[in-house]
Amino acid sequence: MDYIHNSIFTRWITGIIQNRKAVTGVGIIFVFIFLAVFGPFITQDPTAFLSRPLSPPSWEHWLGTNGQGQDVLAQTISGARQTLLVGFTTGIMVVLIGALIGGISGYYGGRIDDILSLLINVFLVMPGLPLMVILASWLPPGPGTLTGVLVLTGWAWNARVIRSQMMTFRNRDFVSAAIVSGERNIRIIIIEIMPRMLSLLASSFIGASIYAIGAQVGLEFLGLGDVSTITWGTNLYWASNDMALLTGSWWTFVPTGLSIAIVSFALTLINFGIDEVTNPRLISERVWRENIPRDKAVNGITPVVKDHE
Amino acid sequence: MNHSVNYLLRRLGFYFVAAWAALTLNFFIPRMMPGDPAAIIFARFRGKLKPEAMNALRETFGLTDEPLLGQYWSYLKSILQGDLGISIAYFPEPVTSIISSAFLWTIFLAGFSLIISFSLGTLLGTIIAWNRNGRLDSTLPPVLAFVGAFPYFWLAMVALYIFGFELSWFPLGHAYGNHVTPGFNIPFILSALYHAILPASTMIIVSLGGWMLSMRNIMITTLGTDYISFAHAKGLSSRLIMLRYAARNAILPNFTGFGMALGFVLSGALLTEIIFSYPGQGYLLLQAVRAQDFPLMQGLFMTITFAVLAANWIVDILILFFDPRTRT
Amino acid sequence: MIIKIISYLILISFFILVGCENSNELKKRDGLRVYQEAQMSWIRNFNPLSLAGSARWPTSSGIYEPLFIYNSITGEYVPWLALDYTWEKGNKVLKMLIRKGVKWSDGEPFSAEDVAFTFNIKSKHRALDTRDSWGYLKEVVAVSDSIVKFEFKQIYVPGFDALATQSIVAKHIWDTIDDPVKYSNPNPVGTGPFTEIIRFDSQLWELGKNPNYWQKGKPQINKLIFPTFPSNEQVTLALLSGNLDWAGAFIPAVDRVFVSKDTEHHKYWFPLTGHTTFLHTNTKHPILSDIRVRKAISYAIDRELVVKVGMYDYTEPAHVSGVSGPMSKWHSPYLDQVEDWTTYDPLKANILLDNAGFIKDKTGLRHTQDGSPLEFDIIIVSGWSDWIRSAQIVSQNLKNIGIKAKVKTYDFGAWISRMQKGEFDLAIGWAEKGTTPYALYKGMMSSEYLKPIGETADVNWHRFSLTSADSLFRKYEQTSDQKEITEIIYELQHLFIEHAPSLPLFAEASWAECNTKYFTNFPSKENPYATLSPNYPPENLLVLVNLMRR
Repeated sequence: MDYIHNSIFTRWITGIIQNRKAVTGVGIIFVFIFLAVFGPFITQDPTAFLSRPLSPPSWEHWLGTNGQGQDVLAQTISGARQTLLVGFTTGIMVVLIGALIGGISGYYGGRIDDILSLLINVFLVMPGLPLMVILASWLPPGPGTLTGVLVLTGWAWNARVIRSQMMTFRNRDFVSAAIVSGERNIRIIIIEIMPRMLSLLASSFIGASIYAIGAQVGLEFLGLGDVSTITWGTNLYWASNDMALLTGSWWTFVPTGLSIAIVSFALTLINFGIDEVTNPRLISERVWRENIPRDKAVNGITPVVKDHE
Repeated sequence: MNHSVNYLLRRLGFYFVAAWAALTLNFFIPRMMPGDPAAIIFARFRGKLKPEAMNALRETFGLTDEPLLGQYWSYLKSILQGDLGISIAYFPEPVTSIISSAFLWTIFLAGFSLIISFSLGTLLGTIIAWNRNGRLDSTLPPVLAFVGAFPYFWLAMVALYIFGFELSWFPLGHAYGNHVTPGFNIPFILSALYHAILPASTMIIVSLGGWMLSMRNIMITTLGTDYISFAHAKGLSSRLIMLRYAARNAILPNFTGFGMALGFVLSGALLTEIIFSYPGQGYLLLQAVRAQDFPLMQGLFMTITFAVLAANWIVDILILFFDPRTRT
Repeated sequence: MIIKIISYLILISFFILVGCENSNELKKRDGLRVYQEAQMSWIRNFNPLSLAGSARWPTSSGIYEPLFIYNSITGEYVPWLALDYTWEKGNKVLKMLIRKGVKWSDGEPFSAEDVAFTFNIKSKHRALDTRDSWGYLKEVVAVSDSIVKFEFKQIYVPGFDALATQSIVAKHIWDTIDDPVKYSNPNPVGTGPFTEIIRFDSQLWELGKNPNYWQKGKPQINKLIFPTFPSNEQVTLALLSGNLDWAGAFIPAVDRVFVSKDTEHHKYWFPLTGHTTFLHTNTKHPILSDIRVRKAISYAIDRELVVKVGMYDYTEPAHVSGVSGPMSKWHSPYLDQVEDWTTYDPLKANILLDNAGFIKDKTGLRHTQDGSPLEFDIIIVSGWSDWIRSAQIVSQNLKNIGIKAKVKTYDFGAWISRMQKGEFDLAIGWAEKGTTPYALYKGMMSSEYLKPIGETADVNWHRFSLTSADSLFRKYEQTSDQKEITEIIYELQHLFIEHAPSLPLFAEASWAECNTKYFTNFPSKENPYATLSPNYPPENLLVLVNLMRR
């Protein structure tokens, strides 16, 4: 038994490591995390009202200054911290809650499934952005509020997906076999099924993180975050309030936007990679032509290469 | 056949329960917010009104001291009668008339964008999945994914600035030009379309990647199945196989997603509406929240909730119709 | 092949669309485009009696008119529908002389009957009495066709302002309305310069001239046009591209953003209103109740920096009396003898705090005797970025004297709720306003407005009261003698400066921009006949009747 799930896990990781997209994505993310953690120690003080406001990039300020004369580079790097922290924390919490509720609902079925499904559907149906706006405006602003609001409005989607997946696995032979041989339900869920759901859980985490970063930035742009803190969202809020585009001060607006895009894109790349590992058919033909002669089989599945015109 | 009807009815029942739960939540959440609307509106006029106006205000809005449960029952009753009450922020305009015009514009803009995005996305996904060693497959997904990774409002603002302000190719906002009169006339329709191009394009570009990718992935799985090989073997033309067999089956899972997205269209592309001054529901909701306009908030929540449920139910029916596998 | 055809078709239709649109937009200079309210779509409501904000601007001062208009620039009441007024019977009766020869826009004659009716309808439907005039009025009667008599229950001379600036409605129309509270008045009949609704769509509405306006030859423009602008960005975009002629918006870096686009025609004027924006200190807070702490905080603030970075240098540091600019005429002649705690003096601030017993620790932060740190929250409305920035500077300034101040933003509803309930430490906000500083000082120090923490207080958020001030307020309310009024204001001023109930931060400016390309005779610094900003009804009437087309 142990051989099998160790193998599933290691084989999955090996697949990921060998996937170019996933590796690139992870690499980019690590660069940003590194910058977020260590960057603020080497940049200028982002809160100091130093120089002339809205001055273009120069040797003194590599990315120029914003509307209050603060260094944009320092602001961009400092902003990464809270944005990424809230983003990934939300991602983890969403997956945990989703796995818990979706998993239990899908596995046990029956009454439990009915009740939990109802809960999931109700949360799915509630309009997310409006709810976020209400809660964010009512609660004291800050990363805690943001995380809470994002998790509350975002957990349901993943729960549903995990539930469907769980239901599919539930009916598979290996589960029936495990039940018949007397394994306890909890053990089955954790030891048998979860490892097989790694791709789904990982891509749920990534997807939730992407959502969290985007929604967080959106809320902060509307002014609902804590505007005294430095985050990517509040940077954009101030840039827009200072009429960044209309004064031609693109440097207050573009770096943060680009950073968000690169991070989200990197996460998406990782998701592409995970998809390809799970469903190797998704890898483009070119890659397969290179690999097949060397007889690389991933996950023990023989991919079918189809040629259409 | 009986089974299908049963299934649909079960789903309907489910939706009713979900609707009731959502409505109840919609009732309680606005009331848990601090502050009372009369005070907010009063305070909005930074010291231009006199402090003695409070009583008059409270009287105007009929803010009762009725116990919460009593208010709840009246709320449910009036919803069933279609009476959404009178707005506080736009007093004395009834909520239904405020929502109705915003409703139509949101449906027009966001619905239109969604349909184009979905159609174009699935079409592209199909083509890409088909020609997997083509240039499209290696360039389009990453490019669209990167474009979609930008925060939406960022793209919208840049687009508005470049195409609207600098180049003047498109109007700076609003749903139609100020020289036309709303109604079923050609100038109005043309103007509405023209004004919708920029906001819709930004919405389409951002979501295109998502639809394309999911379609591509499902198509690829589908293309590996046996019946496709069989169709090839029978000698059917590639285009026929691609469209009538593979795509038609691959689109079904995507369709559920489309259903959900359609419902959420009504919570409004809030940021789009703000940036392009588009008179839709999303911005209305933000205003209602800010003014603590309970009736308007509830009215908006209600329309969105019902729209989502209705869209889901319609999709359930359609899937039942299109996918024989669900009828077993 | 098919794809090519489709793409060409799309391109062609696009050019047709653009062509149609642009040719039609060319003939667009027949009306003055105005921005005053931030709305996404228009609701057709022209009821001047119900709460301001429900009815479209300029209902109360454009479609309808008041008896007198207070000109904030000259500091005088301008006779409008009324010509003169007198106080009689020991200030218990107010008589107003009503202008003759005025007609309603439907041709019917206007008279004192309409004036009396307007006030009486507010008595019948108390929800319309938004300024609580009937709290002190006993009876309002039209003694003749041109004289209205206001009888007071108790002497309350400051009540004049509410009565004088009341928009007057037509008796012959409103007499027939069952529920004037819920009436939206879609087709208004008024005495004002613009009364005809030419067009009303959700996105745009147009207001045309009053054919029967009592000022001959005016207004000199044909119509006002109101497109919707939901936020400041859209207003700025419209101003820059020449799509707006008159606006009352806050624009950051206005010279660079707005004026530079058309230096000849893009103009702005941000005159000081005379009032002040305050850093409110909750005097019921155990630490803030100590006047030395409040003064120390005030000394520590570099108001010049606040004004420069927070407010783009649009305004100036506040005067210690709480009024400045056009209200400077109320400054006491003995001001050189008082302590001016609004000067920037961190040294004095530190000394005050040392004397009050707050010791600095190793990191430079101060503690009370029992060890609790000196920490406050400064709460601001989210979205009011100029005030947020100002608060951030204040926070930095306070750090220099050892106080930790954190800036917190809340959405307007949540913010106002906290202020009214007294659930705050420090906050940036406005104070009561009036034609004299009486309103300000009453809001600052009157026991009448004092409410305990947790109970909603409409003014006096900082919860301070002074009995010596109370007797002065009562004296003020009884007299209409100019000399007495001035003396009382001087005394109140000194009390305010002595007790520092709240801290004046910077002078308040009004925001206004205009485009003189198609229309002229806007008020300006060179021609200050009224304030330029449309945000101050009924003063904007003075502008509306004077604007001219090129």
